[in-house]
Amino acid sequence: MEILVPVWPARSSDRPAKQRLRELHGARIALVDDNLDIPFTTRLAALLTERHGAKVDRLVKPSGTAPSPRDLIDLAATAQAAIVGIGL
Amino acid sequence: MKLVSESLSLDDYDEAVELFFERGWTDGLPVVLPTRRRVEAMIAHAGRDPQESLGAIPPKGGEATIEKLAINAVMGGCRPEHFPVVLAAMEAMMDPAHNLNGVSQTTHMCVSLIIVNGPIARELGFNSRDGVFGNGYRSNAAVGRAARLALWNLGGAVPWDTDKSTLSHPGEYAFCIAEEEEDNPWPPLHVERGCPPGSNAVTVFACEGPHSVFCYGTPEEMLHVLADSMCALGNNNMHVMGQTLVTLNPINAEEFAKRGWSKQDVRHYLWEHARRRLSDVRACGVVHEQFRKMERDAGRYPLRYDLDNPTTRLPVTPTPEDIHIVVAGGRSYFAAVLPGWGGFGGFAVTRQIRRPGR
Repeated sequence: MEILVPVWPARSSDRPAKQRLRELHGARIALVDDNLDIPFTTRLAALLTERHGAKVDRLVKPSGTAPSPRDLIDLAATAQAAIVGIGL
Repeated sequence: MKLVSESLSLDDYDEAVELFFERGWTDGLPVVLPTRRRVEAMIAHAGRDPQESLGAIPPKGGEATIEKLAINAVMGGCRPEHFPVVLAAMEAMMDPAHNLNGVSQTTHMCVSLIIVNGPIARELGFNSRDGVFGNGYRSNAAVGRAARLALWNLGGAVPWDTDKSTLSHPGEYAFCIAEEEEDNPWPPLHVERGCPPGSNAVTVFACEGPHSVFCYGTPEEMLHVLADSMCALGNNNMHVMGQTLVTLNPINAEEFAKRGWSKQDVRHYLWEHARRRLSDVRACGVVHEQFRKMERDAGRYPLRYDLDNPTTRLPVTPTPEDIHIVVAGGRSYFAAVLPGWGGFGGFAVTRQIRRPGR
């Protein structure tokens, strides 16, 4: 019997993975703030800049429970690395 | 019929059933095998282009084509006549107002409940009476499971990956009821929400499982216990509002109607009385306070409440209209409250069911 597959074939990534950062010092990091735990993300941004010398672009999502808008994703993609979290 | 899905040629039934487990294509239960013949019958009944897409299902973004949805509907146990109900439910879930991306991935236990209204419910044998949230009825089970399998296989919402629900609930397998419209003195849910009387529709609302409410007596007695059950401090609504669902059984509704209470009267009374003092809510801790602040900053919290006054009585939803009421279940003593996810989403969305040739 012929059975049809319920999923789509796995997709390869649209763009190649970026090189892993060797050090935080001087690196431009996009911190995608999910607007849920402001004290946590504020502390994280401070640690990255003051202790590790990174340059942090803090990008705040309008809602912590919905996907980031496209322009925010595009902006984050211009950084050398991005920190993204979810949880609620 | 031109279909684009990959196919497998298998002769052994047991082997085919086991393959779905091995590949991670099922939710933990065996499936009806989606043979080409069954899938084509499903699509033919709907009269839709197999490659028409309802959109990308979050979180992983698999396209919800009619063909892929038909495969998952067969797997869930649907007959072709169920498929238009599944399609309407998927359309409703994928409306941005429902925030399916969040509902599928939240640590909260909400699951999108499908509520079927209209003559189609009786015609296809959906249960709206005794045991309405339970087992025993193919239409409730198959339509509910078909939608869940689509979220599983196309949305990629699986518990070891993107579905971060801390506890979840059994509605992850199937969560579908019909509203009782014959033994019901009030307008049905879909008509309240703008559909023409006599039309067929589904409403989806992401909520917890049903919380039992021992609800019998005069309207004031029933409302007293319902209001108390709705504003428990453990539910998200009490902290970040959103929407909530009350299920009254036909005797409850009859009793209200006999004493001159409309559904809107009940809704307004519950909104005025399902409240907690701010000091009670604050005693739950700083995290709850932070969520409330976040909702206020996002403009989803009604600012007219004085959040500096501990005697302020906070309602469970922003407006009375955010309390949904359906009539279902047996003629007995129990009602149910199904709290929502809060202001984060999962809001009710209604879609009419498109039936071919009607």
